Amino acid sequence: MADVLAEGYNVFDTAKSPSGTVKYLESPADVIGLIQSGRLAEHILLVQGGTTTFLAPALSMGAIGVITMSGAPESHLGILSREFQTPCVMTAHLTSSESRYVVGNTDPSHFEEIAKALDGRKVRLDCTDHEVGRVVADD
Amino acid sequence: MTTTEGKRATYKQRYEEADDGLRFQSLTYTGNFVGMEPVTDGIKGDKTMKSRARSKVLEKVSKDDVLRDEFTIDELNDLNNYLAWNIWDVLVMRATEGVSGMIPRQEYEILAFMHEFYRWPEILRMTTAEVGGGQGIMDIGATARREIGTKVNAVHDWCIGAVGFGMGRCGLLALEAIGPDDYVGESNEILKFMQRVLWGKRQDGYILNSQDRYRCRIHEEDFLQQLTGQVEPLENGSPKHAAFTQFNAAAELLSFLDHYDCRLGLGDTGPYELPDGNLLILRDLFVNEEVFHWSDVCEDAGLPHCYTLALVVDPEKMALEEIRVNDISTTFTRPKNYIEAIVGGAVFAREKWNTPMGEVYPIKIDDLGEHLGRVQQATLKLYTKTSRMCRRDLIWNGQYVYYIDMILPHLRLAGTYDKACRDYDLWEIDQRVANYYYDITKRGFAQETVPSKIFSGAGYLPFSDKASLRNSKGRWL
Repeated sequence: MADVLAEGYNVFDTAKSPSGTVKYLESPADVIGLIQSGRLAEHILLVQGGTTTFLAPALSMGAIGVITMSGAPESHLGILSREFQTPCVMTAHLTSSESRYVVGNTDPSHFEEIAKALDGRKVRLDCTDHEVGRVVADD
Repeated sequence: MTTTEGKRATYKQRYEEADDGLRFQSLTYTGNFVGMEPVTDGIKGDKTMKSRARSKVLEKVSKDDVLRDEFTIDELNDLNNYLAWNIWDVLVMRATEGVSGMIPRQEYEILAFMHEFYRWPEILRMTTAEVGGGQGIMDIGATARREIGTKVNAVHDWCIGAVGFGMGRCGLLALEAIGPDDYVGESNEILKFMQRVLWGKRQDGYILNSQDRYRCRIHEEDFLQQLTGQVEPLENGSPKHAAFTQFNAAAELLSFLDHYDCRLGLGDTGPYELPDGNLLILRDLFVNEEVFHWSDVCEDAGLPHCYTLALVVDPEKMALEEIRVNDISTTFTRPKNYIEAIVGGAVFAREKWNTPMGEVYPIKIDDLGEHLGRVQQATLKLYTKTSRMCRRDLIWNGQYVYYIDMILPHLRLAGTYDKACRDYDLWEIDQRVANYYYDITKRGFAQETVPSKIFSGAGYLPFSDKASLRNSKGRWL
């Protein structure tokens, strides 16, 4: 059984199981830089928020998979990832950590811990379950 | 769709009187009903809220009811409670999304909520007078029955009451800027306007989709036939299916971006059952709103005001269990993934907000590639433009998207938009709200208080039995 690094809400169930290196995007400049690099399709994108505008050009240009640290399928990014059929795991938490996201009351260390653990890892998204999306080690 | 093989669609059971619908979330709502059984989401929640009403305002109401000048205190409280539940029902999970990294949405939202509550009442009163009274407002709602690409839609109409009254009053109560019995007259003005538009649009006695098991079936049959006549068959996995769904997603994304990451840029109606048993969803995607100065990049890309997509979904193919077109014009299904079950589609374009229906034109799916390129070009330009804006500009721009756009379609059709700009300083920021700009980031007001009070439904205090229908605010102490 593959090592499940993180779990969260599965936005929509799909047999698609994209694989790539996690790229943590902190700013719009990061997003623009990734698109200009021409290597968008190599990465699973990791972002803090569950809003859609931050990732707008990446979604539009063919992002293969998304992990967020907040939000739900009803959030705008959830709606758009469903429309794009881009597998998406939202409000992901590390399976190795007790830390959880709480709306309006989450210490920055929570996000930092997830980013540190996942950024640069080769992973695969498992979005076959109705409710739970999984980030699986693929390296 | 591997998980639904062998299953049959059961969604029609949701329309049986005794059915309580599915649960889309595990959370429950309390609101002003502390000590009572918590309220669920969905059809069961709607039933519970109706059963707890003290008036008949949540049942089907008559035209005479709607034309009456004002609500009673009981009716105001029933609407306040129902809207608070409805807001929780559609937004409590969305509101978990945290920071944007791009647009400070919580900040602009709360400013807009409060601005609307203060400023809209006199503008809506003027608009009602200009169109000759309540019937004129109902007629504005009714125009949506025979139009596509119109912003007189569920989300805009809902926002008048749910946002302008509900969230605006809730935010000001949380900020302790007003008391529960202040602005009763103004609250009545906003809610009457909302009720009239929605009743005129639906014409079945209800005003909200949640009252009708999440259906928004507003179009006349002959009108629908004109649209379905353009539908092209689509097969999942085919290039044509991919072209259609890719365009749907890209245009929807731009409509979000043009409207500062909010849902005013899109509007679903339906589900309409077609003769062959398939379901039709009509989706307006407003990719170029001329009233926003940043939309110049959309104009430069040659984009129309709105693309409308007709999505035909085979409920058997996805073993559909429930479909909701909620009051913020968004479709959710169980199972969640309806895209693979799309078996037909059509696209239409409306160049301007007031382009006559006879000039709205269809676009063949094989021709969507060129439109997709324009949409992607505008998306990248608007993203780059937005990323260069300072925080203050982003917040006030976003504030305008809510405060202006939520009533813009109604003012346009009433012919009062220019008057509101000229005589009522529509685009000016009220001094009170300008000052709140500095308060909302203190003590986590936007990030913590707003989600806990507004989206959880905890802050919608009722009007008291002592409240007078004529109350405004007599003193600032």
